[in-house]
Amino acid sequence: MKCLEFERVLPEYLEGNYLPEQQAHLQTCAACSNLLADLKLISEQAKSLIASHEPSPALWNALEERLRREGLIRQAQPPGFRLRSFSSRWRLAWLVPLAAAIAIGTVVKLHYPMKAGDTQPVARQESIPAPPAKPMSSEDLQLLTTVAERPPAQRAKYRANLDDANSFIRDAEQSAKQDPSDIFMQQMLINAYEQKQMLYDLAVYRSEPGEQ
Amino acid sequence: MRTQRALRAATVLMFAGMAFGTSTVRKDLHFRVGKHPTVSINNPYGPITVRAGAPQQVVVVAMLHSDRVELDQSQSRNRINLVSHLLPGADSISGLVEYEVLVPPDADVTLHADTGTLHAEKLHGDLTMEGVNAAMEVVDCADGHVHLKTLNGNVNLTNVRNGHVEVVSMNGDVVMTGVSGPYVSVNSNSGRIQYDGDFGGEGEYNFISHTGNIEAMAPPYASIDVLARSNQGPVESDFSLEPKHAPFISRTGSAFTGTLGKAASSVRLFSFSGKIHLKKRQN
Amino acid sequence: MRPKKGNLTDAPKLQGDKLTEREAIERAKQGDAEAFKFLYDLHKRRVYSLCLRMTGNTASAEDLTQEAFLQLFRKIGTFRGESAFSTWLHRMAVNVVLMQLRKKGLPVVPIDEPTEPDEEVTVTKEPGAADERLAGSIDRLELQRAVDELPPGYRTIFVLHDVEGYEHNEIAGMVGCSIGNSKSQLHKARLKLRELLRVNRAEKAMKR
Repeated sequence: MKCLEFERVLPEYLEGNYLPEQQAHLQTCAACSNLLADLKLISEQAKSLIASHEPSPALWNALEERLRREGLIRQAQPPGFRLRSFSSRWRLAWLVPLAAAIAIGTVVKLHYPMKAGDTQPVARQESIPAPPAKPMSSEDLQLLTTVAERPPAQRAKYRANLDDANSFIRDAEQSAKQDPSDIFMQQMLINAYEQKQMLYDLAVYRSEPGEQ
Repeated sequence: MRTQRALRAATVLMFAGMAFGTSTVRKDLHFRVGKHPTVSINNPYGPITVRAGAPQQVVVVAMLHSDRVELDQSQSRNRINLVSHLLPGADSISGLVEYEVLVPPDADVTLHADTGTLHAEKLHGDLTMEGVNAAMEVVDCADGHVHLKTLNGNVNLTNVRNGHVEVVSMNGDVVMTGVSGPYVSVNSNSGRIQYDGDFGGEGEYNFISHTGNIEAMAPPYASIDVLARSNQGPVESDFSLEPKHAPFISRTGSAFTGTLGKAASSVRLFSFSGKIHLKKRQN
Repeated sequence: MRPKKGNLTDAPKLQGDKLTEREAIERAKQGDAEAFKFLYDLHKRRVYSLCLRMTGNTASAEDLTQEAFLQLFRKIGTFRGESAFSTWLHRMAVNVVLMQLRKKGLPVVPIDEPTEPDEEVTVTKEPGAADERLAGSIDRLELQRAVDELPPGYRTIFVLHDVEGYEHNEIAGMVGCSIGNSKSQLHKARLKLRELLRVNRAEKAMKR
């Protein structure tokens, strides 16, 4: 056996599949024997690289902030909790089913605030009639309370925006339910939630301390 | 990093330049900054215009329309923060402040307003605009991240290239002229989405609406992989597209899909009930 | 870790002061911040090192690490414990990184091409040259540096197989290549590393 031949079968050799003539070649060939030893050494030493680096502590802080915002950490907020929190709590309502929906390709109604009369079955194939107007969720009510102090024309606009946002979510959810594997409707659903989140963020923005 | 707390506009009368009319007061500010500064302006009522100026300085001219509003300014090294602080009783008329700002072209700019027009021109840094009813105009900007969020204001992007553009709108129309980049995304509820450009840059273009119509106009030489679908509205294409081999099933509603040219860019036009029209520009 | 008082009545009791991974998972499902931190601390080094190795820069590595944990923690409610939690987590981390590389258009794994003569580092190239072994052991730092210098495609396979310990069939599944491709890329990666290590050592020797 020549060196060239040996090198060709070297990967298999390293996996433990070898023939006697390959072993024999090693006895006589220092170069191949060195090569084998080196590659073995490299692959073994590689294990020491696992978990070799430590991320900066700031990474946890950023992660924790996001976990809180998504409602995955459900604990008492530190003092100084501001009005903004209700928009954060609302995120739980859509980000959990969202992640599940993307992962599993189905629409999940796990944590979305259950509204009265919301008893539609999941994933029926027959056409689902347009759902009747549902009573407002508590987060939506809080939004309207937040903007209650503002001029009536502006209040009306917020109300219209809220209706539009909810209507989009309803339409997207309904379609996604009819065909859980439809990734386009999943994307629509994400977009619908993103719009509602924006509405919450922009509506509460002004209510920061320092204003009025 | 401690911020220096601001000069209250109670002193504006002492330091201001000219005063127009009886109650409008002009305030001139000048800041020295280093490379890649951050400029943030929160102005509930009134227009903000930001243009590219000389490097390493930020120049602000603010017109305050009454004494019911004060200008809070703070600078923390490379970060400048301006806030139009409304005093009790201020409304959209008495609280009006007009800003004209010059920033270095590489500045990152964030603007926030309820009403007024937000205008940014010739900038290369990251740009964020958030508005309730404010109209937004982004002109001749390139390279940066452009994030626009509006409830009811119309959005106009003109000649925005090579960027990462994300627009979310409830009710405001989004009009793009000569916009291209690695990534252009518009998420609208009832606002209309209108695009007139070349879908260039081997980019990813996603226009999604609830009820707003989507109208995209592309040149005959466009190189795109397009997928358009509306659940309840009609779709129309002026182009005859090359069919794609990827399996695509239109489950509900109307759709068209295919490629043009080398299919360099990806174009996704989705609407729930809006009308989608892919037009061909006649040269 | 201090025992937590309060409303977590469903959470398992702590064994003295030590929280086990099993318990942390249950408490994390309830939304307990300390439990999340515990799980994060337990696995952060491995996830971060993987991300760093595959992307080559700390900023991306931090973003991807955060993303991986976020995705994991979002789904922790559905974790039943069929497979080890860490296996679950690390696979998720690999997927997050691979997705990122794909998004950036970076080569994940090059398709096997007929052997390129310049790539092959064969011993027969230098007959009579001092073909010494890489003496004794390889310093972790120098190996790290060599891995960083690998072309991205080789690096992916090497990291997944030799560092992280995935099998070729698993790698083929995750990365989307054939098992044969995975094996041959691994071999090329190791050969390349050997060459890099030698070159680096020779340079160091010259500098003295």
